[in-house]
Amino acid sequence: MGFPLLSLIIFTPAAGAAVLMFLRSDDAARWTALVVTVLDLALSIVLLAGFDTTTHEMQFTERVPWVPALGITYALGVDGISALFVFLTALLGAVSVLASWVAIERKVKAFMASLLAMQALMLGVFLSLDLFLFYVFWEAMLIPMYLIIGVWGGEGRVYAAFKFFLYTLAGSLLFLVGVITLYFHGGETFDILALMALDLPFQVQSWLFFAFLIAFAVKVPMVPVHTWLPDAHVQAPTAGSIILAGVLLKMGAYGFLRFSLPMLPEASVYFSPLMLALSALAIVYGGLLALAQDDLKKLVAYSSISHMGFVTMGIFALNLRGLEGGILQMFNHGVTTGALFLFVGLIYERTHTRSIADYGGLMKVAPVYTVFLALFTLSSMALPGTNSFVGELLVLSGGFAANLAVGAAAVLGATLGAAYLLGMYRRVALGPPSVGARFKVRDVNAREMVAILPLAVFVLWVGLYPKPFLAIIDASVNHLLTEVHGTEGGQ
Amino acid sequence: MTDAALFQSIIASLPEIVVVTGACILLILGQFVRKGQEHFLVSASVAIVLIAALATLLLANEVRPAYSGMFIADRFAVFFKLVFYLATILTFLLSRKYADIEGIGSSSEYYVLLLFALFGMMIMASATDLLSIYVGLELMVLCTYVLTGFMRRERRSNEAALKYVILGAVSTGIFLYGVSLVYGLTGTTQLNAMAQAVTGDPLDPGLLLAVVFIVAGLVFKVGAVPFHMWLPDVYEGAPTTITAFMSVGPKAAGFAVILRVFLNPLVAASDAWIIVAVIAVVTMALGSFVALVQDNFKRLLAYSSIAHAGFAIFGVVAGGQDGIASVMLYMLIYAFMNLGIFGAVIMMRNGDFSGEVINDYAGFARSHPGLALLMLLYLFSLAGIPPTAGFFAKFYVLVALVERGFVLLAVIAVLLSAVAAYFYIRIVMVIYMREPERAFEPALTPMVRATLAFTALGTIGIGLFPAWFLGFAQQSASGG
Repeated sequence: MGFPLLSLIIFTPAAGAAVLMFLRSDDAARWTALVVTVLDLALSIVLLAGFDTTTHEMQFTERVPWVPALGITYALGVDGISALFVFLTALLGAVSVLASWVAIERKVKAFMASLLAMQALMLGVFLSLDLFLFYVFWEAMLIPMYLIIGVWGGEGRVYAAFKFFLYTLAGSLLFLVGVITLYFHGGETFDILALMALDLPFQVQSWLFFAFLIAFAVKVPMVPVHTWLPDAHVQAPTAGSIILAGVLLKMGAYGFLRFSLPMLPEASVYFSPLMLALSALAIVYGGLLALAQDDLKKLVAYSSISHMGFVTMGIFALNLRGLEGGILQMFNHGVTTGALFLFVGLIYERTHTRSIADYGGLMKVAPVYTVFLALFTLSSMALPGTNSFVGELLVLSGGFAANLAVGAAAVLGATLGAAYLLGMYRRVALGPPSVGARFKVRDVNAREMVAILPLAVFVLWVGLYPKPFLAIIDASVNHLLTEVHGTEGGQ
Repeated sequence: MTDAALFQSIIASLPEIVVVTGACILLILGQFVRKGQEHFLVSASVAIVLIAALATLLLANEVRPAYSGMFIADRFAVFFKLVFYLATILTFLLSRKYADIEGIGSSSEYYVLLLFALFGMMIMASATDLLSIYVGLELMVLCTYVLTGFMRRERRSNEAALKYVILGAVSTGIFLYGVSLVYGLTGTTQLNAMAQAVTGDPLDPGLLLAVVFIVAGLVFKVGAVPFHMWLPDVYEGAPTTITAFMSVGPKAAGFAVILRVFLNPLVAASDAWIIVAVIAVVTMALGSFVALVQDNFKRLLAYSSIAHAGFAIFGVVAGGQDGIASVMLYMLIYAFMNLGIFGAVIMMRNGDFSGEVINDYAGFARSHPGLALLMLLYLFSLAGIPPTAGFFAKFYVLVALVERGFVLLAVIAVLLSAVAAYFYIRIVMVIYMREPERAFEPALTPMVRATLAFTALGTIGIGLFPAWFLGFAQQSASGG
């Protein structure tokens, strides 16, 4: 065990949150938060630079006994599945700080501290190699997120915060019982790698699969446990939405990848048709709901449900293209939807309305804004040359290989995506400039540009040259597939 | 009893002797304390408890049976006594200012009665005979009856005390009836001898009945359904410091006795766990659901304490090494977080401000961000959200349950704690997401500050570094 890079990545924002409590002025809080998140981003780039893409083994591992009497270890590690999300979390952390620079006017210190605490916990979730540790991070996230939505949110924030909290809590508590059951089946250890090596009886796997499914499906969210998402998104402040859409939703899918598939392979294979059907449902249903929205944020929120359907579909296609596409799509969705929420936030700060009907002709008054909005809108509908195209193509080809009907439903969902996204763009950016008459809209300033540019870079980079990203996940996905199918003699 | 045995017994019960002697001296000295010197009462009381704690720790190295099998000083007892000391000392610290505000500050009886209650709880933790259990129990509850009614001019306080006395007497009667049945059937009241008297034989239905009576009597003390009726009224009516004390000390004492009785093979053989499992589920459900609609903070905490008792009883159901240790750890952690939240309620009582209605806390985060953060910590700990200690307490009970194969009970327990989480985060909502309705200044003294800091440290510290405390609880459980 060498330099504890992973601990440093987790505890840098945590320490930053602690420091914030002692600061006096709001500006100092903003700058401290920015410095901390940028530092964390730099650390995560160091991590990616040192990441070995040729192996599926856990890298940068750290192990310290924590509660030896119960077999609990403070164990961290990173592999191809988690590496991209560590980076994504750090990137969106810095973007969220920039996004809330002026949007948050009250209790700036507390807000920035919550954001940093949130970031530390999210990084912990992706880096844990111990189920207990994972659960602690996973559940502790509820506290800062509850506050972010509930204190700094919109009109209906209290209701939204409660709904978010209770949904996720109820889901994850069953997961906890599942974890403890697994603990006793695995010879009293919470070590994730040891538990992956287990060969559980099918019946046990099935029960655990459902216990895990509830927790992860709520987070993803999959239809029919998605109803907390539109409320939470609409009420959350911009930074909260970016984190929710960009990182939190990924955790459910990450849970499937890290726990359900390798630990419960037979159940995963057995229940994959169900999961594919739920994914197809989410894709189409989310798309239809998005089509009917007038509220910009709600539209993006429902589109998230649809897009996350692609992710779960890719995962449960249980083949190489599906899984790689799913993971890449998780990253893409984080970048693109995070950016879209940022854009909604930017325009909302200026006009204080999110209703699409109030807009029109933004192109005239804020050309830079609309150009970038076009880029991210096209990315969200998976236009070739953007990041989502690569991801969705892989997912679709994996989905078709797994099940024709599900693949067809996904294509329908992608078409719906084009419809509501282009419709949204047309009504907001094009047409007669109704906005200019009523609102004073200024174009993006330098600070906002700094937040937007890195996201735009990744949209194009992944879209035009996805190889380095796929290389990171490749070895781990291959290994995961042999674990899933290995038990039934390969496929 | 020979001289040597008597000497050994006195050594074994030295902490108890310290407490009771100290209480008697304080009772006399208290008469000479004039107004403005009340600090002396607090310091003296704390000193007595600290000396007792020191004696307990010095004698903790070996198991010391005493008084011909009536009493034992073992690690199990030591653990609970430390919880009692903690609860009592923190109650003393919280009481000073509060007692002044309520106009009960200058009476030394308040402190003396708390010390006697502590003495009763200590006997309960160490008792190995149904009769010595009874003596400790009765001493403890008699003191708490009086303390509940201590605000003599307050109607609520009097009403609560009266309810408590009547219901308490009934439950004690039930307990004694069970004891008499045991004595009639086995010819002994000693827990160990009782077990030997029935080993091997098919279980006598009369004994089962006796066990039910004893369990019923004890369950009353921890406030479990169906003997919970007294609890909300008493908690609401009693001085808040006494409520804080009762929710931690006597409750832990009740669990000490329940565990001691349940360690006993007689009970283990009687399938009593089914009764206990039902009690646990119903208790937790009632506490959690009724708390949802409370507007009075003290009443809400009363139902929350019922719900927590229910969760701890799940640990009793699990039984075995881990089950017992889980209940013990639960009591320790509960002492920290519950005294913390009660400390916050107590400090809100200032001037004409009662701090008892949940809406009193509206916008508290705006005016006092630091204190609000502490309350947030206690509340999330009570709700069982990591990384607080409350999570680890619940987690360990669940581990014990699943270890015994009670997965379904574990599922019920977590679902009910999701319900319970709602009313804790509702308070967080009021504190953080409402606008302040009126300005107020909490009654913060250095002592209250110290209490809050200490409980917060325990709540977060045990959550982050549970290993040592877990080991302590496990060792203490095996020493019983």
